Amino acid sequence: MNFERLSEYKYRIPREGKMRVDAAFYASKTILEDLEAENYASLKQLTNVATLPGVVAPALTMPDIHWGYGFPIGGVAAFDPEAGGVVSPGGVGFDINCGVRLLTSDISREELESHKSPLADALFKGIPSGVGRGRRDLNFSRKDFEEILREGPAVLVDRGYGESADLDNIESRGRLPGADPEATSQRAYERGVSQLGSLGSGNHFLEVQYVDEIYDEEAAGAYGLERGRVTVLIHSGSRGFGHQVCQDYVERFLQAAPKYSIELADRQLAAAPIESPEGKAYLGAMSAAANFAFANRQLITHFIRQAFEESGFSGRYLRVLYDLAHNNAKFEEHAGKRVLVHRKGATRAFGPGNPELPERYRFVGQPVLVPGDMGRYSFVLAGTEGAMSETFGSSAHGAGRKMSRKKAKKAAKGRNLIREMESLGILVRAAGRATVDEEMSEAYKDAAEVVETTHSAGIGRKVARLRPMIVVKG
Amino acid sequence: MIRTLDHTADVGFELEAPSLEELFEEARRGLLLVMFERPPDRGGERETVRLSAPDLEMLLVRWINELAYLVQARGLVPTGSEPEIREDGGSFVLEAHLAGTELDPEVQGWQGEVKSATFHGLEVKRENGTWSARVILDV
Repeated sequence: MNFERLSEYKYRIPREGKMRVDAAFYASKTILEDLEAENYASLKQLTNVATLPGVVAPALTMPDIHWGYGFPIGGVAAFDPEAGGVVSPGGVGFDINCGVRLLTSDISREELESHKSPLADALFKGIPSGVGRGRRDLNFSRKDFEEILREGPAVLVDRGYGESADLDNIESRGRLPGADPEATSQRAYERGVSQLGSLGSGNHFLEVQYVDEIYDEEAAGAYGLERGRVTVLIHSGSRGFGHQVCQDYVERFLQAAPKYSIELADRQLAAAPIESPEGKAYLGAMSAAANFAFANRQLITHFIRQAFEESGFSGRYLRVLYDLAHNNAKFEEHAGKRVLVHRKGATRAFGPGNPELPERYRFVGQPVLVPGDMGRYSFVLAGTEGAMSETFGSSAHGAGRKMSRKKAKKAAKGRNLIREMESLGILVRAAGRATVDEEMSEAYKDAAEVVETTHSAGIGRKVARLRPMIVVKG
Repeated sequence: MIRTLDHTADVGFELEAPSLEELFEEARRGLLLVMFERPPDRGGERETVRLSAPDLEMLLVRWINELAYLVQARGLVPTGSEPEIREDGGSFVLEAHLAGTELDPEVQGWQGEVKSATFHGLEVKRENGTWSARVILDV
């Protein structure tokens, strides 16, 4: 792999072969060693992205880069609709608008300790994983469901699932415009309607945490983060609804690709021009799935508030700090041009002064939430000017796996990880041991490495660190 | 024959079988091995599946996605399939009579959802009389 170092943490892959533009990536020495160890498979995926029509220079990856399918995880690529730019359902991913939402509270770590076990049980019971029996009190008619797809969580807030203040702190206020339920299939509806308000499995989770370190007092103040206070982090997406939308459109785009003479380096990169009928239909369906995901995290927030109420925290307020997407394609203006930014396992990270941000955060930049693994820590960062000028306003989204699921299971053999976590003061509630084994701490890279690299490269600014106390896995 | 692949973020498997039909049956077994610690192997319920695709790769993706849908949305775990595959006017048609049993996450050792089969690195081929396939799942 041919690349050159631009600065301590930034590298450039010059355009060659079928690449239409240069590519660039961010890495520390350790991250670079990881890339080398996998024979630069993720960087190869990045160069494939750079071959797509209408891509705006450069095609990028964030410091949490790892091997995906089609796009690498951590991939960011912008496309110019006026230059034949494309949209790629595989470049958004199956879990459309998979993302995270952070809640803050005035509950102290010590207070929580005394209610930890009943709270862990109430959370596990109250938030369905999505397979098997769900909550019986949820029932959405087709009309309700389609309204949610069009309008996002505002519909739920109107029905008592949360407060209007929640909406202020969601990326795009929880509603991507142009959502078109008609562009989604009957099967997407069938899979989605029963899974609205469920967590999912795999790397999805819900964590009760406490703030153990503040790095930037000003930003932490604006975000309402205080050392020793309890936070809750939700990681979930658009569930079967989004998975089905992606499935439907990858197939449809593969069949349409010859029509637009798009040569694909990887079939999972199937793409169609943004302005084509296929491209427009996908964007309508994708926006519906994105609104579903925002609504899903809204319902989960409601269930979390209920669980806290039932577990000795009656009347204590859980405020939505922020909710953001990790897998999306959005029209944004960068360098005076309207482009469609694909983020596949990357976070929108707008810098200070951006009018898209809630007023109370505007002077410090957008909150950027970077979950780590379940045994160590997660981080809150702030969006920067550097991200605006270098990465289409994007930053890292997580730690990234270093062990395959198979290897993790092997490493977990003969151990009781739930008990190990308990000895570290972390209560785990999970549907099965297999998920806990696969998601073990050691299976992930150290999120601190990703965060330090992001901070030092200037595409995010460290604000606070959060430590887990309760982990719920689907 | 099913061999699991070590993909860092997701899971995958390589399959080998003497016939195309057996290859697709191996894909069913592979999927169940990803989803369950103790995949059920007997079931009395019946379901007929009919799929078509312009090529064998897409047919395999649709097959795996159809089976994952039956488990995750309908609660039916396919414990056996008798797929028949034929070419029909430039496309491939699969018809299968599935046997299945009800999903019981605890008894069957539910390991987690499969979001979809992907087209990344996907391959279905026949060499020296043996059919083989390679497929990566997003989990």
